[in-house]
Order: sequence, then structure tokens, then C-alpha cells
Amino acid sequence: MTALLRYQTGLLLRSQRWLAPLLLYAAVLGVGVTMGEPVLGALGVAAAALLPVTAWSVRICLTHEPPAARSVVAAAAGRGRAHLAALLTGTGLSALVGVVAVLGVTAFSDRRGVTALAASTTGLLAALACALTGAAVGALASRPFVLAPGWSLAALVLGSLLALATTGSPAKHAVTALITGARTLTATPPWLACAAAAVLAAAVAFCACRASARLE
Amino acid sequence: MRLEHVGRRHGLRGPWVLREVGLDLPAGTLVRVLGTNGTGKSTLLRIVAGVDAPTDGRVTGRPDRTAYVPERFPVALPFTAGDYLVHLGRIQGLGPAAARAGAGEWLERFGAAEHARTDMAELSKGTSQKVAVAQALLADPDLLVLDEAWTGLDTGARAELDAAVRERRAAGATVVFVDHDPRRLAGEADAVYEVASGRVREKAPPERDPAGTPTGADEEATPGPRVRIAVSGGRGPLPGRLPGAPVVTAPGPGDTATVLTVDAAHSDALLAALLAASWHIDHLTTEGVRV
Repeated sequence: MTALLRYQTGLLLRSQRWLAPLLLYAAVLGVGVTMGEPVLGALGVAAAALLPVTAWSVRICLTHEPPAARSVVAAAAGRGRAHLAALLTGTGLSALVGVVAVLGVTAFSDRRGVTALAASTTGLLAALACALTGAAVGALASRPFVLAPGWSLAALVLGSLLALATTGSPAKHAVTALITGARTLTATPPWLACAAAAVLAAAVAFCACRASARLE
Repeated sequence: MRLEHVGRRHGLRGPWVLREVGLDLPAGTLVRVLGTNGTGKSTLLRIVAGVDAPTDGRVTGRPDRTAYVPERFPVALPFTAGDYLVHLGRIQGLGPAAARAGAGEWLERFGAAEHARTDMAELSKGTSQKVAVAQALLADPDLLVLDEAWTGLDTGARAELDAAVRERRAAGATVVFVDHDPRRLAGEADAVYEVASGRVREKAPPERDPAGTPTGADEEATPGPRVRIAVSGGRGPLPGRLPGAPVVTAPGPGDTATVLTVDAAHSDALLAALLAASWHIDHLTTEGVRV
């Protein structure tokens, strides 16, 4: 698996396709977060924006490898494992960006009423919940479930909006906890939302890896 | 390795490409798959290699080390040829040093060593096919699946791939291949299957002794017709690995010709390799031919 992850990471970083979702994230943070604003509200924006960004980067990792190269890797390592490596790479790299964003936002925001540790813990868990939900959206909106690029993009945008707005979605739960916490100045780490997002992402990844050799 | 009642359709409700395929692929055999375009040969090979899963039936006993060469490999990947091969070697389970050494060795064998630092996107069609073949041979696979892997290779590289296929079979691997050239490894296949309208049936290999299917080891033990090739004037030494492992007799005093003796089955590949290495063929005789 390490070799597959190294290959997928090399593929993503050298292809420079990571740049577009990263710029989107930077732009949303630049517009949505101002220096010195209350920390929990700012963290809510940082976490929420991570969801579509992760969905996008997962879709990039799943689709940008040329089919011939994908077949070669699938024969060597197994189709399911190759698919899982692409999912993990897309999720991992954007989660990493999310961690940097949460730490940066915590450092430069108004931390009155909450300790830096409580704020960053809450922010990191919310970001993780959003990243994992986004990964599930990205995995469902691309190979092997949706093949046509147009439908895939539509499903990605719609799925991301729904995941942020629907009651019961772990991402919505985590972001709401941060935004209400900003009003009441209480940082409640969204453990439950994070666990639910992890279960959701694992279930989607399992189905996607099983389906990848059968549906295409 | 065995395929039982295997069927495959594209998508959930697509037409069936293959139905009720039963194949036995024992270790140490060379298996040829025939069929006209669009009959499902590539689909069969993808199922054998584990790239696609069967919709119906099951595949059992596939070796862990499986390598596959797709029919087209014009790949725009953001790696150099050498780095790509190292990545693939690592994925196939080699350590970093072994992967790097293997990448160099196989590029050298296929005459593409000078392209190790070239970006994959800038390789010519033939050279990128050499990379595709090299990745498959890197980690000594126990199952090698070649989907028209010879197409686009130059003569020397084709002979080298023939030799590599023989080496893999002799080492106990299963090799399954499709090639439209009927002379490709002619008479060497242990089994020939024909794919037609979604079904696969076995064709008796025409040049085999009906008493039994000899393996590579048996072949070396029974002396068949041999071919003597007298050559001279190569621009360099003889290539290191020659197809069919010929017996080489160096030129005596006052003589310029080197004589190579090889099994008739390998003579075409050997001649091709010699011509590719710019050697001049002086004389050709056969010994022990039953006419």
C-alpha cells in the first residue's frame, strides 16, 4: 500500500492538478475569514470549505490516471487496492491542507473566551468530519459510479451542497457546532460527527473499491 | 490458475462480452489466445490479469505477482521512464534498490536505456511500448498477460520480448498472450484458445506432438532439428542474451565467421536479433531435419 500511495502522491503532485482545488480553498478562506474575527466562526468557514475541496481532490485522484496506466497498476496490485490508494491520497492531501488552515486560523483570530487548545481541537475535528464527508461525496460522484465528466461534476457540486445543508449529515453537524459555539463562546469538540463521517467514508470506500473492477 | 463459468458484461445491463468461459492455466505454460477484432480477447485477458472482475463465475488461484501489458500504452504520465518503472517495481513488491536496478536492466535489454531520464509524455510510441513491456517483466511475474505487446516494438526488442517470454515460462510462470502475427512464438504455445462470439474454445496446437504437451524443460532435453548460422562483421560484440541460448563457436585462425547453433524453434528470433545488432549472415544450414 505504501508503494501505491507514493505512486498516487507523485502522480498528483507532479501533474499540478492539486493547484485548482487549493486555490479555491485559499480564495474561500480569503473572502470568508477576516483577521481578528471570533475564532470559532472562522474555523466553521475553514471546515465547511474543506468539504467541496476534498470532494474535488478525490475526484482528481480517481480520474486523472490514464486508463492504460490504471490497468497496469490494477494487475500488479489489485483493482480494489489501487482504487483505495487514489481515495486515500485525495483525502489525505486535502486533510493536510485543512490542518494547516485550522492552525493558521486559530493563530490569527480573536480567541477571547476560548483557549487556543480547545479552539484548535474543535476546529481539527470539524475539519476532519468535513474532509471525510467530502471524500465520500467525491468517491460517489466519480468512477466507478458516475463515468460521464459532466454528470460527475454536477453530482460533485450538488452532493457537496447537500452534505453541508442536510440535517443529519456529519459535516453539517460539525459546522453547526462551531457556529453556535461562536455565539455562546463554548468550544464543544464534535467527536460524534467525526466518528459518523469516518464510518460513512469507510462504507463508501468499501463499496467503491468492490465495485471498481465490476462496473467498469 | 483456473477460470470457471466466467461471464462478463459491461456495466449493469450492457451486452454480454463473454459467457461460460472455462480455462485452465497451469504454471509453466505458454497460452495463446486467438480471435478476430472485437470478439472479447482483450476482455478475457483483462479478467485473467485481474484488471476486471467477472460478472459471473469465478477466477481462482491467480498468482500474487501478476503483470499486464495493455494493448495501447501511449501514456501521458508526469514521470520520467526510469521513475515510472521504479514506482511500478515498488508496487509489485520490489525494494527500492532492486526496483532501480531492474528498471535499468530492462530498459537496457530493450535498447531504451538512453530514455531513462526522458519524460513519459515525450517518448515515442515504440519507446513507451518498451516501457510498458519493461514494467511487466521487472519483478519476475508468475503470471504475465500480454495483449499485443509486440505491436510497435522494433525487431531487436521483439526478439528480446520473445526471449523474455521463454525465460518466464522456463521459470515456471504462466504466460498468456494475444498477437495478430501467426509467426509470433509459432509452435511454442502449450495451449491455444480461440475466442469467437463470446465463447472460448480450445484449439489443438497444430505443431505439438499428440503424445503430450512438452514443457520448456522437456524441450531442451529432446534434441530437435537445429540450425547453424554463420555470421560475421558485427559492429560490436554479440548481444549478451540471444534468443534460444545458442551454442556460439568463435572464429578459428584464418576464419572470420562466428557460428551459432540453435534449436530450429528459436532460429527466426535469433536471426532477427542478429540482424538487429547489425551482424551479417554468411551462411545458414539445418541439421537433423526430418523432411
